[in-house]
Amino acid sequence: MSAEGAPVLPHLAVEFTTWLWWHSEQHENLFDLGEPIGTVNVWVDQRLAFRNPDEAKVLAVMTGENASITLEARAALAGGKVLHEVRLGFRRDEREYLLTLKGAELHITQLKLPQVVGGGEEAIHDRMFLYEEAYLVVGALFRQFTALRTAPEWGQEVLPALQRWVRVVDDLPGRDSNEG
Amino acid sequence: MGITGGAMTVRRLRVEGEVPADFRSVYPDLFATNAFQEPLTEVGKEEVEGWCNYQNLLDTEFNDVDRWLFGDYAVFALRVDKKSLPAKLFSATLAKRCELWAAERNKERCPGSVKAEMKEALEAEWLKRTLPRVAVTEACWNIPQGYLLLHSLSESMMDRFRKRFRNTFGLTLVPLSPLDWVEDEAVVESLLAGSPANLHGVR
Repeated sequence: MSAEGAPVLPHLAVEFTTWLWWHSEQHENLFDLGEPIGTVNVWVDQRLAFRNPDEAKVLAVMTGENASITLEARAALAGGKVLHEVRLGFRRDEREYLLTLKGAELHITQLKLPQVVGGGEEAIHDRMFLYEEAYLVVGALFRQFTALRTAPEWGQEVLPALQRWVRVVDDLPGRDSNEG
Repeated sequence: MGITGGAMTVRRLRVEGEVPADFRSVYPDLFATNAFQEPLTEVGKEEVEGWCNYQNLLDTEFNDVDRWLFGDYAVFALRVDKKSLPAKLFSATLAKRCELWAAERNKERCPGSVKAEMKEALEAEWLKRTLPRVAVTEACWNIPQGYLLLHSLSESMMDRFRKRFRNTFGLTLVPLSPLDWVEDEAVVESLLAGSPANLHGVR
């Protein structure tokens, strides 16, 4: 392995975050990640940032409750923009996490961990345990996506369904009122 | 706030190289050698950097292992100080001083060599009374598992941190790619050979 590590494929981050968004809507936020993680509840939370496919600069940001099901968010996607950042929430057992996946490297940013009681050394151990759990879940989600992405099922079923979902914005809340 | 409290925004790096079995006795000296030290002169404009305690940037003492090593985790910070002067105010002040110099000597203008001396003197005068801009970046190193979390996404900070880390411990920090999550080599090869999907279909 070189000092710069494995290459970063920017399109994979875009495809992964879009797939997460789509999958969470299609499967009521449930992701079966297999052992040792099991089923995790994952949802798109209150922030989505879009850019043009060939630019790094963020062009549009959707925030607020239910940002992912707004007409604006889906219209940005349907209009050809791609995801640059997505705020996710997930719940495992009783622990709830919020984090933003950012950029081609899928940096974990603004990670809000479950509350840790106490301070000092114990708090460091607890927070690192929780960080590891978040990292484990995001890694498992990415592994599931990449396994699917390289399987025949991707081209035959998943991508066509994803493309239909990206294009269709007619069934979204606000569509009728906007059209008057 | 960051690794030890509040929301975390971290870059994860792999640590490559061998950590000595007696690192608890070796690393305090390495930290100390590369710890932040106040500059000898107050008039320098160059950046000054070094390791410091994650809880207090004025604490550069690493002899007590219990203050930076918590089980498997070494928690510390990189402090970077830089003094800078307000450019427009500096230029304007220098111009006024040059005008005054010329007026006192009944000259039309101040010669370049004099202006250069005045600039140097003004810089020294101002740097002496200027406090540095201080940046502190936390890090958490899981020594047995060989990874480090850097509480910054800045490329320049990462480069600076990697360099100092290598100079201190002789170990290399390698930025991770999302592909590092993928354990199946065949999947990695397939992803590397593949091309972007058209998420929008035929448009």
